Amino acid sequence: MHPKERRSAATRREFLARTGGAAFALSGASGLLAACSNSTTTAGSTVNSAGQAVGPGGLPLARPDRRVTLPLWEQPIPSGMKPETGGEFTIFNYPEYIYGALLKEFGKKYNVTVKVTPFDDINTGVAKLASGAVQPDVTEMTPDNLDRVVAGHLIKPLNLDYIPNLKKNVWPSLVDPFYDVGSRYGVPYTAYATGIAWRTDQVKEDIPSMSNPWDIFWQAQAYKGKTALLSEVRETIAMALLRKGELDINTEDPAKINQAVADLQELYNICNIKVGDLQYSTIPEDKAWLNQAWSGDMMSAFFYYLPNKATGPLLRFWHPVKGKGPIQNDMWSICTTTKKPVLAHLFLNFMLDNGVAYSNFVNFNGYQPPLNEIVPEDLVKKKVIPETLATCVLTESDLGPDSLQEMTLTTKGQSLWQDGYSTFLSGA
Amino acid sequence: MYPRWLWPAFAIPGVVWLLILFLLPFYAVIGVAFGNIDPILQTPIPAWNPINWNTGWVAHVLNELTPGGVYWDVFLRTIRYVALSLGGCILIGYPVAYYIARHASRTKSLLLILLVLPFWISYLMRMLAWINLLAPGGYAARFLSFTHISDLLYHMGLLSQPNNYLGGESFTVIFALIYGYIPYFILPLYASLDRIDRSHLEAARDLGASPFRAFWHVTLPLSKTGLLGGAVLIVLPMFGDYYTPNIVSGAPTTSMIGNQIDLYFHGGPQPTIGAAITIILSAFLVVLMGYYMWTIHKSSKELVA
Repeated sequence: MHPKERRSAATRREFLARTGGAAFALSGASGLLAACSNSTTTAGSTVNSAGQAVGPGGLPLARPDRRVTLPLWEQPIPSGMKPETGGEFTIFNYPEYIYGALLKEFGKKYNVTVKVTPFDDINTGVAKLASGAVQPDVTEMTPDNLDRVVAGHLIKPLNLDYIPNLKKNVWPSLVDPFYDVGSRYGVPYTAYATGIAWRTDQVKEDIPSMSNPWDIFWQAQAYKGKTALLSEVRETIAMALLRKGELDINTEDPAKINQAVADLQELYNICNIKVGDLQYSTIPEDKAWLNQAWSGDMMSAFFYYLPNKATGPLLRFWHPVKGKGPIQNDMWSICTTTKKPVLAHLFLNFMLDNGVAYSNFVNFNGYQPPLNEIVPEDLVKKKVIPETLATCVLTESDLGPDSLQEMTLTTKGQSLWQDGYSTFLSGA
Repeated sequence: MYPRWLWPAFAIPGVVWLLILFLLPFYAVIGVAFGNIDPILQTPIPAWNPINWNTGWVAHVLNELTPGGVYWDVFLRTIRYVALSLGGCILIGYPVAYYIARHASRTKSLLLILLVLPFWISYLMRMLAWINLLAPGGYAARFLSFTHISDLLYHMGLLSQPNNYLGGESFTVIFALIYGYIPYFILPLYASLDRIDRSHLEAARDLGASPFRAFWHVTLPLSKTGLLGGAVLIVLPMFGDYYTPNIVSGAPTTSMIGNQIDLYFHGGPQPTIGAAITIILSAFLVVLMGYYMWTIHKSSKELVA
């Protein structure tokens, strides 16, 4: 048959009629499915029997002004045991977030091969721990996830006798933190503030002297395509809340979250806002000029990514004063899957050694450990960082009951924030 | 004589492969989409038995995929990007495949090697390379600026700012999609064009058809299965792509439906939404796949006739 003689597969009109039918069927399907639907809420109560709001793990929600003691689901290991030696010791962590030379040193000291298994983000990490797909000895953890990893028995209680460096070297407020009174399940690793990073050769505004520095994102028409926010559900929406003076960055009020999302959506037209977590490299490399960022990012930027160290003073970082912006910390915890519980405790102690923690900070990841010995002025004096980046270094006084921290939400609250971010991410 | 089961037995490895690496994981996604969530760890609890399916999540996503819903605009944007990228692949890829199949006699092997060459480097690396090439001062950006192509693109409204390719531009995302997927399009198309019997073309020319008419009425229809094969091969992964817009843009205004799937799968208490978007997207793609299968079936029947 000659090709010309073939009947066409479908005329345009037929095609439109068929696709229209399909679209109609699709919208009808949603109604049909909804009719026989079970639910679209994650199971789990949001309040306990005492009427307190609880996280997914059923534990009360910790806040800087509301301290929580986590229950012991098993007893910690006894004191005075000898560390296990030989074989592998596995650390579950973000990629490139711990100095390899220190791991070699630890491995050599205890005759183990130290291996790092990376995860993309802490939620993926927790999901992998829960599935049993990984069986590490220690894991990086965040305070807002403690509720579910403790309730899910994914991490073990600590015996602090093995970790003397905690009391000796760490900021007192993190020796006995509000989210884990008595440090039953973790020790701090790094501390960081969320703020704004920019290049002074490109951004002309004096951001710290603005009456509301967060407004810079809403005035960034001149920095279109060079402005970005963190690609983080909590950080992005919290920033929009703070801009409007809403200090409850753990709110579960749909009206406040919807307003914050609507404010963020304004940024599409103002500066075609981008989202991402590469500000530690894009700002020093001049690929971005203005970013929401973590304090550790600009120190990493200066240590590793700035093509010419002499241009260090071009990089700036601002974060709100205590009680006006989030200050977070990462932690180390011991996994239930560990076959080397004593060595795992010693690893936590090792990471809190002044020399080790300082080396990890200035020689590798740029995120500061919350140690008493780390003082901004000293870092400037030793020329570790330029004076202009002293704002990246936090001190004990930045924490306290009146500080802000993005903490565990109820399951319902988490869905609310995630859906809000989904709306922002859709670009509509 | 060979026993009757011998030849079908050769299909067993392929069938097992499909079962383990495609059907089973796909059913797992369906199970997650119609399942529930562990209240403590917030991990999905798949519902393997259809009797126990919770249809709420899929209904919710279907509802949000209608005009005015959260996913409607991003879904339309995805369709637009994929359609334009497919158009670009056809415009660039067809002449390349045609040239290799028809006119590259001595250089055919070399050109085929060059076509396969991109597969030696990971997709991610190839995309990351464009970051430096298109950054201000990058070789590609400088060339485009020097040749005034940047100005042209800006005046045509394809770029919102001259020479700012990485500033969250739809143009860059579509360009990157074309660049990333075009080798997968050209190869099956080349195979199809190479198989066309030249005597058909000679007959058309002998009957007075101009070169263009011969191409339009003989070559193009006979390469339809190759065109569709290549299209299916690139359209399916493009629909689920999220890393290309992430790498070359990062702006929510250029995000695709894959970014929503990524968001819900990468943490939070609603991985079921990610799974529900995935299966609804798959159902949509099954329609395209069905058309392809029907065309193949029709072509093979005509061949037998």
